[in-house]
Amino acid sequence: MYDFDFFLQQLSNGLTRGSIYALIALGYTMVYGVMKLINFAHGELVTLGAYFGYTLLVTLGLGRSLGPPLAIGFSMVMVVGLVALAGHLLERVAYRPLRHSDRLAAVVSALGASIFLQNAIMLKWGAQYRAYGAELLPNVVFHIGSFSLPLVRVLVFAAAAAVMAALHVFIHRTSLGLAIRAAAIDQGAAKLMGIDVRRVIALVFVIGPALGGLAGLLVGLYYGQINFNMGQIYGLKAFTAAIIGGIGNITGAMVGGLLLGLLETLSEGYISVAWKDAFTFVVLIMILVFRPTGLLPERVAEKL
Amino acid sequence: MGKIFCVCLSLATGLFLSGAAKAADPVKIGVMAPVTGDWASEGQDMVRVVEILAAELNAGGGINGAPVVVEVADDNGTPKTAALAAQKLLTSDMVAVIGTYGSSVTEASQDIYDEGGVIQVANGSTKISLSEKGLARFFRTCPRDDEQGRVLANNVKNLGFSKVALVHDNTSYSKGLADETREIFKTIGVGEVYYDSIVPNDRDYTVSLTKIKAAGPDVIVFTGYYPEAGLLLRQKRDLGFNVPMIGGDATNNTSLVEIAGKEAADGYYFISPPSLADLKTDAAVRFMGTYQEKHGVQPSSVWAILAGDAFLVLAEAVKAVGPDPERMAQWLKTDLKDFQGLSGPISFDGRGDRIGEVYRLYRVSPDGRFMIQ
Repeated sequence: MYDFDFFLQQLSNGLTRGSIYALIALGYTMVYGVMKLINFAHGELVTLGAYFGYTLLVTLGLGRSLGPPLAIGFSMVMVVGLVALAGHLLERVAYRPLRHSDRLAAVVSALGASIFLQNAIMLKWGAQYRAYGAELLPNVVFHIGSFSLPLVRVLVFAAAAAVMAALHVFIHRTSLGLAIRAAAIDQGAAKLMGIDVRRVIALVFVIGPALGGLAGLLVGLYYGQINFNMGQIYGLKAFTAAIIGGIGNITGAMVGGLLLGLLETLSEGYISVAWKDAFTFVVLIMILVFRPTGLLPERVAEKL
Repeated sequence: MGKIFCVCLSLATGLFLSGAAKAADPVKIGVMAPVTGDWASEGQDMVRVVEILAAELNAGGGINGAPVVVEVADDNGTPKTAALAAQKLLTSDMVAVIGTYGSSVTEASQDIYDEGGVIQVANGSTKISLSEKGLARFFRTCPRDDEQGRVLANNVKNLGFSKVALVHDNTSYSKGLADETREIFKTIGVGEVYYDSIVPNDRDYTVSLTKIKAAGPDVIVFTGYYPEAGLLLRQKRDLGFNVPMIGGDATNNTSLVEIAGKEAADGYYFISPPSLADLKTDAAVRFMGTYQEKHGVQPSSVWAILAGDAFLVLAEAVKAVGPDPERMAQWLKTDLKDFQGLSGPISFDGRGDRIGEVYRLYRVSPDGRFMIQ
């Protein structure tokens, strides 16, 4: 019953799910890396991305008037921009005033921002489920034996992979990326080296939310259904992924996201759907017991 | 002197008035409904439905010449307010009370009505235990939760399926319905090849679906709610897995088609109490016309119509045995057989539960409409 095709199927299920987790986990890990703050409102930024996409594609009807490829490309650009702006405002309003206060104050502020955003989204778009409409994307399925691969899944994975590759290049090959890495290792030293840490933080709060917003749009396109508290569950999963990968480490977030997706689908597939979360979190505990800093820990400056 | 005259006069008028009232003592029927609160639209519909029926009855001369007086008490959709509402109705000498919508709300008022000696006919409270308490004067015009499992299982069999994959979402409603259905599958000889839950809000059910595909059922029975049902249908189509699916009344929501898309939703079966447009009896069609004329809209759900049915059977009982709660309750249980209510034939069993199928089978048409089968 559980042959090789079944395994391939779970692999593709897991990679798609995992690539969405990874995109969201990147936002957590980048902010944590630079600010040592868990941005609890990040899940809500994902929701915001999903709803901006809904407004553009469904309410304004771009999906019908522009045709799928153009509409999706355009809405991706718009959503990324709008959610980046929202992330920037969030940093300005909820975090920047608290930069020099206690870390606990910032965490409480993050929780407050999360509750505020979730309710604001509910009031603006309503508490009911919203549907993207299956007609947005052509239903193309590739069949290889009993293994079937929908086109939309390939697109989701490709979009996530492309964005993550670009981010990787940006972080490791550009001077701005170097500044982010430096600020993550030691803010004080970075400042002494002439890096404007405030700008780095602002930048991180633009890139992270933009990735989260994109993930929200992909959730809408792939699953077709969104609701106002979807950010909660995605936030939790992505946070877990960031921890598995080693919070603060950008490559770790990508690895952690994909790994979490695979862990979930394989335990669903070979153990039990109902026990999936129990199994996944047992693995998380095991990882933390043996590697408390995650699989790829954040680089810490070596003290001499 | 003046004082004595006054007393005499008031005595005389008192005698006269009571004598006059004897000829047509009004029959008082209470309506306990969530006129405010979360379920306000249901509650207001209930009141409107009962008031229209009472007005029609009174226009036709009442019950055996006696007019019917309807008194409304708001239960706010909360158990606490329901207890107060019940007290209020009892102090104004009701023969019977119609209501209410929510099971927990009905539960809070049941004992109060029972001790007060009046009949209660709930219209939307489907919780099983309500009629298992041995209260002699409790009735309901809605089906019980376990009725749905029976109807679901029988429909699966009647549609010719023999290997089912049973999926629930671990909520008490969904798991309860799944287990109920599962038991009945065993007794009517429908085989089960898969049984598991999904996690609501997970959005990704492709793993469950590939496992189900590997198990090779000829139908998927899903007992959860419409958001997940829509996703299951959509992802099932994406996987190229063409097996029919059937669900319960929690999937009776047009969002299902939006989420799944028309193509994937096409052919989906579910069972549910009939929607208003599908009540085709003469009485129902005429009543909907009157309601539309008076309020400009249709009632929003079938539950308010079931409050109307409660009124009709109570009026019938008063007509047969007079406004005596004990005798009416007895009569409703033993003598009322297939009374033509708005939602179809009504009879009650010894516990006061409605007998006869309220649930109907629906199928989603290619253009995304819910068609009664």
